[in-house]
Amino acid sequence: MNILALVGDAFGGHGGIAQYNRDLFTALKVGGCAERIVVLPRQGRAGTPEPPDRVRQLGPRGKSCYPLAALRAAVAEGPFDVMFCGHLNLAPLAAMVSRLIGVPLWLQLHGWEAWEPTRAQAWAARHSTLITAVSRYTRRRFIRSVAIDPQRIRVLPNTVDEKFTPGPPPPSLVERYRLQGRRVLLTVGRLSPDERGKGHDKVIGALPQLIADHPDLVYLVVGDGGDRQRLAAAAKEGGVADHVLFAGAVASDELADHYRLATVFVMPSIQEGFGIAFLEAAGSGLIAIGGNRDGSVDPLADGAAGMIVDPTSPMQLVAAIESALAGQGPDPAQARRFRFENFGGHLRDLVTTHLLPPRVEAA
Amino acid sequence: MCGIAGIYSYHYAANPIDRAELRRLRDHMAARGPDGAGEWCTADNRVGLAHRRLSIIDLSEDGAQPMVDADANAVITFNGEIYNYKALRRGLEQQGHVFRTDSDTEVLLHLYAAKGPRMADDLRGMFAFALWDGARRRLLLARDPYGIKPLYYADDGWTLRFASQVKALVAGGGVSCAPEPAGWAGFLLFGSIPEPYTNYQEIRAVPAGATMWVDSCGPAKPANYFSVSAEIRAAEDRLPARPGDVQERAREALLDSVRHHLVADVPVGIFLSAGVDSGALLGLMRDVSTAEIHSVTLAYEDFRNRREDEAPGARAVAASYASTHTTRVVTESEFRADLPKIFEAMDQPTVDGINTWFVSKAARELGLKAAVSGLGGDELFAGYPSFRDIPRWVRWGRLPSHVPFLGDLVRRLIAGSRRLHPKTAALVKYAGSYAGAYLLRRGIFMPWELGQVMDRDFMAEGVRRLDPLGIIAASAGPLPRTAIGKVASFEACVYLRNQLLRDTDWAGMAHSVEVRVPFVDRRLLTEIAPLVMSLPPGTGKRLVAASPRKPLPDAVVDRKKTGFETPIKDWLQRDDRTQTWRRIPELARASCPWARRWAYQLATLAEARPLA
Repeated sequence: MNILALVGDAFGGHGGIAQYNRDLFTALKVGGCAERIVVLPRQGRAGTPEPPDRVRQLGPRGKSCYPLAALRAAVAEGPFDVMFCGHLNLAPLAAMVSRLIGVPLWLQLHGWEAWEPTRAQAWAARHSTLITAVSRYTRRRFIRSVAIDPQRIRVLPNTVDEKFTPGPPPPSLVERYRLQGRRVLLTVGRLSPDERGKGHDKVIGALPQLIADHPDLVYLVVGDGGDRQRLAAAAKEGGVADHVLFAGAVASDELADHYRLATVFVMPSIQEGFGIAFLEAAGSGLIAIGGNRDGSVDPLADGAAGMIVDPTSPMQLVAAIESALAGQGPDPAQARRFRFENFGGHLRDLVTTHLLPPRVEAA
Repeated sequence: MCGIAGIYSYHYAANPIDRAELRRLRDHMAARGPDGAGEWCTADNRVGLAHRRLSIIDLSEDGAQPMVDADANAVITFNGEIYNYKALRRGLEQQGHVFRTDSDTEVLLHLYAAKGPRMADDLRGMFAFALWDGARRRLLLARDPYGIKPLYYADDGWTLRFASQVKALVAGGGVSCAPEPAGWAGFLLFGSIPEPYTNYQEIRAVPAGATMWVDSCGPAKPANYFSVSAEIRAAEDRLPARPGDVQERAREALLDSVRHHLVADVPVGIFLSAGVDSGALLGLMRDVSTAEIHSVTLAYEDFRNRREDEAPGARAVAASYASTHTTRVVTESEFRADLPKIFEAMDQPTVDGINTWFVSKAARELGLKAAVSGLGGDELFAGYPSFRDIPRWVRWGRLPSHVPFLGDLVRRLIAGSRRLHPKTAALVKYAGSYAGAYLLRRGIFMPWELGQVMDRDFMAEGVRRLDPLGIIAASAGPLPRTAIGKVASFEACVYLRNQLLRDTDWAGMAHSVEVRVPFVDRRLLTEIAPLVMSLPPGTGKRLVAASPRKPLPDAVVDRKKTGFETPIKDWLQRDDRTQTWRRIPELARASCPWARRWAYQLATLAEARPLA
């Protein structure tokens, strides 16, 4: 099967969606589902990690040139058997191109952009042969917005890199952040003013009560963005500025070590499509705490792999963090279910069932 | 006849099943199966099946479910009756299958081993089952051709849950309770929720006449193995019967169906009205059996000595066929006392079913576990006025309906008129097509009126998703070519399936009574449809009446049709607990049809209710 993939970014990109795309293409290739994949990213840059063999990523084309580039790739790089669309924003274009070249469309849904789709996006979804959603929550929200047969929308969760393993705090980072003798609450995620739903301010709001009992506590915020100043001001206003550290953006080769600095991972979000950071935290052996109002319940496996709280309840949040600090909580090893092997196996089943020609089955 | 339930954690990320939830699903349906309860789970706890038993065939413990076939690595939980199970068993035994019980359930397991999902083609009866194929790690869900037995499922993307009742799925606690706009719009339009929708977004019905696989990817698209409409359409292509043959062929087919529907290890009674269908069934039961037959008729205190009173006519028919007859009188005070229990038992909102509640209650008081009903006779033998009205409306309405915007213009001009019936505004718009005329005939509200009683945006979304004319046409597809065929398909696939059969199920099972419907039978349809096609309009019921060896008297045939008519409308009008409709001005008008008020009243009772 030859696939043309229209994506926001993949190899060389940052963030959960780029990671998802990389894992997907790698799994398709490794699992033998795809002979050749041509990836056309809209943004980002070529870079590490390199795409696997027979996965070719074209240069990023930017927003204005992208439609023509997609059309050109569909004709010049073909023939293709399937078109994969990695972001709902690209779905109308992908639907048109896939219809032009007469191949089925496979649409991937991630987070909040899929919860209230536009008419054009809904039209594109209705013309998709297979839709995969990163979480049950995204699937439910999408079905609520778009009249579509629920059987066509399957859930394909994030997987997690095996580099996230438990380990002692690296001395260099302990030194860098001056964490000797401190216990660390950790959140990893972008600080975008448009996506204030990750719950940093809720953790900062809970700190005064937590610090009263645990004066050694530090809240380490990994990730950067335009909301950082507002959060810093909130910490100052709450009198906990000395207990909040903004690490900024962290290079991917340092990320696993940052998880090893932490005692508890907490992200009481309200608009997370899935939350790959929960899987990274659990992989690092941390008790993870997340909200019950978005896709977070999936990586936390409904409470089996992490603690679930009502993100609007400060009391529940404090109680959960207290428990986690005392080492009481679900076994993070439960998140092993999200390992790459399971992801790849399920992906193969989905492709076989929905995108390959049906087999004649014996009775 | 029982209650079935199950949970399948099919996705690799899903947690193992919660056994406590499985028991909650099962035990919410205790009334469906008071004679026993069972559950079965795979060793890895990824699949759990549960069952509540009402013993009708093989009353021993051998018939308990879920039933395991260790040799074939298969397990089944089954609700219903397979009337031809003995013939199927003989065939399977000839192929070398060895049986250890006398139950029809075990026949299903062996038939699956022999034929896989194509087994559904061989089954005659009413059924819904779930069969776990351990070797292939797949779950098969199946439902009978007409949808007599219900089967609902909820898929959240990781885990599939199924049950015989929508309320059981909700009671389990694992299913989202978000309301389904299409389901609610459908209820207010038709008086019952059109399948596959339910009142909850996450819960759907397994289609009638379909099987559905669930594997590690989740539920697959349902595969139809039988279509009532296709059968009627095929009948249109067959040579018309010779007039002399018709009566004898009808009698043979009806006798065959009745004979099959009496297969049981307990006595089977009959719900008897003063009408043709149930009367003829009693006559046919007498033709095939010399055993004692219990017949039950409802009578209402308010109808005493009035034309609507079924009791005298039914008593005469019972005497004619020597049944042991009981007339059960229902009073307003009993109705008032039962009303909360009726609301509780009503699985999904519906404007009908209360009469079946009381006649089933009466049957249970007599110790009956199973009873035959004349349901479906009007659909099969073209007995409804709709068979006459709808083709006429379509003839008259075809031309005006083709004039652009005329329908909407007329609707706007006369909408809100206090003198005209509310549906008058829809005549030009809808009467020109069969699906439109059917909506006019059966509809309670018209689509543009829903904003009066439901949240306006929710209503708009509901109508858009439902596509009322589209769902009528799709439910009855492939649409037959003749007028009688089209109406027969609509009545069987919309009204009978979504309203009558569903109401019969919840109201009967609430009293642990299995209601059997000999007129709703795939083999009977195959035999009767060509005959009805060749009859002059309006004469089908005479065929039914003349089918018993001792035909029904003309007085019964010529009696104006009432069905199980009840004074319930008046009782509800007087009940303080059913007056919520008064707060909606359009419903409070004196000319407002009662069904609209009742539909609104029922909608106010739902937990997730999107009302205006």
